[in-house]
Amino acid sequence: MVDLMGKSKYCFMMSAFILIACAVGLIVNGVVLDIQFQGGTIMQIEMPDEDFDTELAADIVKSAIGKTATVNRSSTFNAEDEDDRIYLMVLNIASDETLTDDERMAVMDALRKEFNIAENANTYVNSVEPFISEQFRMNAVKAIAISSVLIVLYVWLRFKSMHGLSAGVFAVLALLHDVVAMFTVYVIFRIPLNESFVAAMLTIIGYSINDTIVIYDRIRENMKLMPKATYRELVNKSVLQSLTRSINTSITTLIAVLTLLVFSVIYNIQSIREFTMPLVVGIISGVYSTLFIASPLYMMWQERKFRKNAAKRAAG
Amino acid sequence: MKGNNGLKLFLVFALIAAMTYSCFAGSLFGLVEIPGVNDIVPGIDINGGIDAWLYAITEDGRKPTQDELDSAKSIIEVRLDKAGILDRNVTTDVSTGRIVVQIPWAPGETDYDPDKTLAMIGETALLTFQEVDENLLDENGNPLPTGKIVLEGTDVVNATPQQYVQTGEIVVQLELSEKGREAFAEATGRLIGQRIAIFMDDNFIQAPVVRERIADGNAVITIHRESLEEELQEAKALADKIRAGALPFSMEAKQVNAISPLLGKGALDVTIRASIVAFLLICLFMILYYRLPGLIASIALFMLAIMTLNCISWLGITLTLPGLAGVVLSIGMGVDANVIIFERIKEELRSGKTIKAAIDLGFKRAFSAIFDGNMTTVIVAVILWRFGTGPMISFALTLIIGVILSFFTALTLTRIMLQSVSDLDIARKTWLYGVKEV
Repeated sequence: MVDLMGKSKYCFMMSAFILIACAVGLIVNGVVLDIQFQGGTIMQIEMPDEDFDTELAADIVKSAIGKTATVNRSSTFNAEDEDDRIYLMVLNIASDETLTDDERMAVMDALRKEFNIAENANTYVNSVEPFISEQFRMNAVKAIAISSVLIVLYVWLRFKSMHGLSAGVFAVLALLHDVVAMFTVYVIFRIPLNESFVAAMLTIIGYSINDTIVIYDRIRENMKLMPKATYRELVNKSVLQSLTRSINTSITTLIAVLTLLVFSVIYNIQSIREFTMPLVVGIISGVYSTLFIASPLYMMWQERKFRKNAAKRAAG
Repeated sequence: MKGNNGLKLFLVFALIAAMTYSCFAGSLFGLVEIPGVNDIVPGIDINGGIDAWLYAITEDGRKPTQDELDSAKSIIEVRLDKAGILDRNVTTDVSTGRIVVQIPWAPGETDYDPDKTLAMIGETALLTFQEVDENLLDENGNPLPTGKIVLEGTDVVNATPQQYVQTGEIVVQLELSEKGREAFAEATGRLIGQRIAIFMDDNFIQAPVVRERIADGNAVITIHRESLEEELQEAKALADKIRAGALPFSMEAKQVNAISPLLGKGALDVTIRASIVAFLLICLFMILYYRLPGLIASIALFMLAIMTLNCISWLGITLTLPGLAGVVLSIGMGVDANVIIFERIKEELRSGKTIKAAIDLGFKRAFSAIFDGNMTTVIVAVILWRFGTGPMISFALTLIIGVILSFFTALTLTRIMLQSVSDLDIARKTWLYGVKEV
């Protein structure tokens, strides 16, 4: 039989590496917030082609309303003509300078004078005043806090009767691991945090705990079947037995999310990309943390307890 | 026994066929109208449109009261009516002091300018009572503005809907300011028997007839409609509009999400394609890995997808792009229940049990694990539903529906199909279940 548990020190190293990457990323990059969470304005305006002067556009905005915009090029899928793409000019305006309706109209008028923008050009506008983004942030924090409490409560109830509280603590540790892994990807790639991230995170929390429960249940079942086995053998066997299920379930979920991610990257569908990217990371981290974090920790804890008890008995 | 199984299988397939048909046709073979995919309400991010939160710009920064918000809402409604934007959703939220305006893009509409629309609906309302020139009427016989102003919105202190106790008549009672009182006394004295028209901006609201000279500043407009219910509604609406003229603030959009229909349609097309590809890949994986049970699971997953879409349609849930992602995700997760069951069945088969016994045991032993997994996902989805905004609410709801349905399909449909099929002679090979002959 493969000794999975013997390899656990490599896994702890891997997780330590993720933690370090997260810390370094935080120091170097900091956390980037989406305008939903910090306020600001994004305008996307359809352009006839890719060939336009972004610096000129920024200057026009500056002189029209006196606010600073960062201007970029982008393109997206054209539902009317698949061989073609819709080219977009993307204006980003920082939080303390969120545009009003009138200012947005002024920007459009000024840009129209200089650029060849069609009369009925496609546009996308997302504008959030900082005081509203604060409400969004508060809601996100509340949602995370309440789900964490409920999940811990659930784990506590579920594990108190079946595995002991220590197992519950490890299950929660594995969850934290997943959340940190998702967060690390955001920090390293400087992806702005928004509600999609929170939704993805909560989804993974709900999804990943299940994996751990299935394996712990298996350990408990095997305890009765293999009364003479060591903890190492017991956990190892249980993980191997549940391995196919854990991996297969993650594979199908991953197929679903990864397909969405690939399509959204190819066709530049921002909302889906933002949403599925953290899910992909979370699912991979979820199965990994269950197999290689929660289970070995549980095993080591039980072994330690066993040794202590043995030592006590020897002493007594 | 065999006939019985055949019947069960037939019923399952008939159910799937009927659900699928009604899902795409919007009816059950033309007999009963059943909402299907075409009746699903698309979100702004799919269909294009405007989603904005308007806040009152008050001088001292205080939050508007419920009455003020209702009035502001009625201004917005009148203006949207005037602009021909009939398909919209305007709601007030007094705890945050905002008005949420959602305007889905209407097919055929070419003049799409969200900023102009928002600026238009947010302006301070100009309410006027004007003299009527009976020669100046529009095609509906309603008076046009004459510019001969009797009262302005600021002359009205309050307007409230009332019911007379004795006669049961429904009226709107106006309380005028001192300046308004004088002007109104003069005008009503002069215009007895004629109409005075109420306009918001230049939009006609109503034109009551002057019965007598009103000198005390307490005017009453009597409402006549078919039923008491209608009269009450009308009176409330009229009072809201008149009060709106006295509103000391304009509204400004502080949170705007506006997207052109074509950009949304592109995103929808891509996401639907991705969903179909994802579904096919999952089925392929299940069939290659689990063979016969995998095929059955794929059929159950198809049913899951159809039922989820049906539920979204029946419950009137707005479907956004993340919502669609939620459907796909719940299919990916829904496989889990099947995988747990099949792995159990395989184990039982390996230990030498008969196929029938293995299937029964597999389902029995897998139940608690499946239940646990669904519980935790539903817990977080419910929280997301309570705390999320627009697109994410849709995701939370589709996820909840998908997860609950996946529980149902795995434990009933997969089970019935697997038990029935396994009784057939051709399905007796354990190879079909991914286990070598023992």
